Amino acid sequence: MDATEAAAVLARARQGDSDAFRALVEKHSRSVFRLAFRMTGNEQDAEDVVQESFLRAYRQLGRFESRANFGTWLYRIVANCSVDLMRSKQARHDQVRGDSLDAGAMELPAVNVPGPERMAESAEIERRVQDALQELSPLERAAFTLRHYEGRSIDEISSTLGLGTSAAKHSVFRAVKKLRLALAPLRSQES
Amino acid sequence: MTPHFTEDDLTLYYYGEGRRRHDIERHLESCAGCAATYREIAATLAMIAAPEVPERGDQYGLDIWQRIRHKLPEQEPSAWAALAGLFRPGRLAFAAAAAMLVLAAFTAGRVWPRLPDGAPANSAPQTTAASVASSANADSRQRILLTSVADHLDRSERVLTDIMNAPRGDISTEQRWAVDLLDTSRLYRQDAVDAGEGSVASVLDELERSLMEIVNSPSKISAADLEQIRRRIDAAALLFKVRVMSDELRQREQAPDRSTPRSSTSTRITS
Repeated sequence: MDATEAAAVLARARQGDSDAFRALVEKHSRSVFRLAFRMTGNEQDAEDVVQESFLRAYRQLGRFESRANFGTWLYRIVANCSVDLMRSKQARHDQVRGDSLDAGAMELPAVNVPGPERMAESAEIERRVQDALQELSPLERAAFTLRHYEGRSIDEISSTLGLGTSAAKHSVFRAVKKLRLALAPLRSQES
Repeated sequence: MTPHFTEDDLTLYYYGEGRRRHDIERHLESCAGCAATYREIAATLAMIAAPEVPERGDQYGLDIWQRIRHKLPEQEPSAWAALAGLFRPGRLAFAAAAAMLVLAAFTAGRVWPRLPDGAPANSAPQTTAASVASSANADSRQRILLTSVADHLDRSERVLTDIMNAPRGDISTEQRWAVDLLDTSRLYRQDAVDAGEGSVASVLDELERSLMEIVNSPSKISAADLEQIRRRIDAAALLFKVRVMSDELRQREQAPDRSTPRSSTSTRITS
């Protein structure tokens, strides 16, 4: 699909032509899934984000400025859908955790420090990293993903997530601080 | 030696951002403390490799399309379209007529001879123009309410239909839609109550309860719980009521006398 054809497809989609929107879905689905997976860290959640993002994009196509880049606009929607999904999951998780605490079911997590051999395994490191990422707030995780995995600048993160530059920067800083703390045992094993 | 840099400065430096990169670079060569902190930050971040994204085949886009094609919502109008809508000839004529009526009411109030204090309150001539203007405004409000509620019911119908036909036990997508609809539903119900639209308020009330149940269920819902939600929707004939009410509101939008609820249908669906 060349640029002229892409512009024509987009124009038709903006007028409610579902076949044209289908072409956009087919073109962008894989890149949307990649971002959603990196943001959420979970295949099923990423699938949900993909669907929700396209539905949201369709609903808001009228607001899309034809001069802008559709991919960039969609990227922003995916990032924000991911944050919304992580927030709703976290709210449910907090509620469940609160209920368990109320019921007196609090248990200290088992301290499970694997031996040096096992720690050296990359799978274990990856698991620890994933656990540490799960402990970030949705916004911290989103900002960190965009900075660290996607290579976006602070200004781009700020624009993608609709934050001020300072808020975007501090979300990345808080994420890095938490990750350093969580991964400190791994570093000491490595050194 | 330049002053020490914060961990945040060093984090930005790691990512190739920040304004004083040259200063930081020189400082790290001469300050063991900052260099150690930087090494620690860099070592941590180097550990965090991008996760391997599961492969999606060439047909993935088509697969996504198949999943969403029946859920496509209505497109929201652009800001320009909404603005242009305000200036459509029909609306302009309506606005002009309403303005004329208000002006006539004001003028009548100014020039009409005042009755002496204590005179009988036979003020119908004075208030006629104002009543007409007020009635025009009320009609306009009523029409907006009808359109908005009908749209809302259509969107709700889609969520309920999805819930009734959900092929698997994950209703997170429907829940997200339901969360949006729930807040709107409450507002419309209150508007309907204020406008004396009892039957509309009643359907919205039932709808609200079902949406609440959907929102408050776990997203990975068990087959039994999902079946229970479906049974309650069925038992209340909610889908039917929502469809009938939506149709009725659409018809009233078209009808000359928009403000009068059709009592026969309303009675039927709220019984």
